[in-house]
Amino acid sequence: MNIRKLAWKNLFRRKSRAVFTGLGIFLGIGTFVAIVSLTARMEQAVQDKLDRFGANILVVPRTEELRLGFGDISLGGAQVAHARLTMADRKAIRSIELSERLRSVVPFFLTAADASGKDLVWMGLPEREIAMARPWWKMSGAPIRERGEVILGSEAAAALDKGPGGTVTSGGRKFRVAGVLQPTGEKEDGMVIADLGEVQALGKNPAGVTFFEVAALCKDCPVEDIVGQIGEALPGARVSAIRQVVESRKAAVDQFRRLGMGVSAIVLAIGGLMVFVTVMGSVQERTKEIGVLRAVGFRRRAILSLLFWETGWVSLLSSILGALAGLAAAMLASPLFGIEKAGVALSPALLGVAIGMGLGLLGTVPPARRAAALSPTEAIRSL
Amino acid sequence: MKPFIHLSDVSMLYGNNGTIAAALRSVSLAIDAGEYVVITGESGAGKSTLLTVLGGLQVPTSGAVSIKGVDLSALSADRLADFRRETIGFVFQAYHLLPYLTARENVMVPMSPLRAGAREKAERADTLLCSVGLCGKEDRLPSELSGGECQRVAIARALIHDPPVLLADEPTGNLDSATGEQILDLFSELHRSGKTVLMVTHNRANLSRATRSIRLRDGLVAEDGPLMAPYQAL
Ligand SMILES: Nc1ncnc2c1ncn2[C@@H]1O[C@H](COP(=O)(O)OP(=O)(O)O)[C@@H](O)[C@H]1O
Ligand SMILES: [Mg+2]
Repeated sequence: MNIRKLAWKNLFRRKSRAVFTGLGIFLGIGTFVAIVSLTARMEQAVQDKLDRFGANILVVPRTEELRLGFGDISLGGAQVAHARLTMADRKAIRSIELSERLRSVVPFFLTAADASGKDLVWMGLPEREIAMARPWWKMSGAPIRERGEVILGSEAAAALDKGPGGTVTSGGRKFRVAGVLQPTGEKEDGMVIADLGEVQALGKNPAGVTFFEVAALCKDCPVEDIVGQIGEALPGARVSAIRQVVESRKAAVDQFRRLGMGVSAIVLAIGGLMVFVTVMGSVQERTKEIGVLRAVGFRRRAILSLLFWETGWVSLLSSILGALAGLAAAMLASPLFGIEKAGVALSPALLGVAIGMGLGLLGTVPPARRAAALSPTEAIRSL
Repeated sequence: MKPFIHLSDVSMLYGNNGTIAAALRSVSLAIDAGEYVVITGESGAGKSTLLTVLGGLQVPTSGAVSIKGVDLSALSADRLADFRRETIGFVFQAYHLLPYLTARENVMVPMSPLRAGAREKAERADTLLCSVGLCGKEDRLPSELSGGECQRVAIARALIHDPPVLLADEPTGNLDSATGEQILDLFSELHRSGKTVLMVTHNRANLSRATRSIRLRDGLVAEDGPLMAPYQAL
């Protein structure tokens, strides 16, 4: 017989009380774990999207007429020809103070040029950076591997009636079609994509850049600061963060998280209160018993540890059960929140168990102090 | 040399919203080791209060209590708890066993804050239970024992640390007279084995077993005298 065992036995004597004490923690931790793992998964999903977008900052010349939006590129030939950015600006972007946060700075050059007798928009970007700048591109055929190769957007391919292996002529040169993009829903569907240098040569603008796509290494990176610093480095350019869509989705997750945290906090507070009330009731009920324990030589500390062991057992069991229930709930609810891959994240569960223990013990502090302060004469006085 | 148990000018006042009740008024007592003292008196005379003060369960309003030369008022709450555990065994009228523990576990309760092997504790408990006549009933719950048997368990619990002093507050109050006699036999036996026994009782028949009788009235010692040679009844 030791205090731990005494506490354990006491719990079994008052099963319904123990269940009631544990219920608050169970519900609180269950809610907490469910919400935390759901938001973690939602964040992961959003982060995946962010990463797939690649670039998150767009640098364009400060030209009123030229409106280049991500996914909404409209071109007036004349304006494009007068692109005011150059390859030298890449260095300037690379040398901002937060440059170590820049994962990539990709120059794009757009020009309208002949393609086998049709006037099409040519988009040039460094051939080696295509895979990173447009990771979502799917194509039949192969990516560009050497000079003299192009990729056709799906509409351009249809208009030219060319496929992989075909040739496109422009400015007296022959280009081999390496691959054809599957429809992306973007303007590039109608474009011919080639290496930057070749498109610059076609446009007769050897160092010209229409826009830069900048990808910052981001989880919580200071995009606004980076935007500001690039703006300072390139006074003639308009720099904008292009994460609105993702950001708004992220804001929704944040909102959900805040709401969830609020709900968890309330449920946890109620759980703590339930512990407090039930343990306080148990102390009141056991005045005599505590007096006897004091009379037979229990120090105050022993009474404290008896009560803490009791709620410790209950908190441990109920928070483990709560965490499991929370994980299960998150798993079941995942599809409702558009989360496809629902792996089990252990850290919210562990955190939940820790919080549950903390909560149980915290709720026990006032009643335990009260119990320890009880006079041992209570046992005898009741005679 | 100080007496084994010594009370000097002990007063115990209880304040109850404005009114003050004096449960003990300047009580001075000297009790030697090996005495068997019965304490009698009307209900409300202060008998239980005297026991709690003697046992270090409460600190008197004024006056000093010393046992084995230790001044109880000089002890911290923790040291006092340790002192109770080592020096004093309490037996209550209502047994005060923990209903969810077996007889053996109840006897072990005072040892539970201490580091000792579970096996050792259980063996000691079993030995004691046998010595109070409960061989074979170690695994019963209090609800499965008679009143007299419960009181035997409580006595075994009081003895677990082999204290030199036993304080009993009407230990036979809840028992029929035949069972009460058996419990008193047990106390006599313990007294003979060297324990100092102080027992509050209503029952004048107890007087035949004790060596000394103290009668309280209104918080004062009204009578105090030696009794005839003990164990004549045995
Ligand atoms: N904790 C207490 N608070 C207030 N009054 C008390 C308390 N304990 C005892 N008393 C009072 O002190 C007096 C002596 O009580 P007690 O020692 O229990 O007497 P006895 O055991 O002889 O019946 C009684 O008048 C009782 O009402
Ligand atoms: Mg009394």
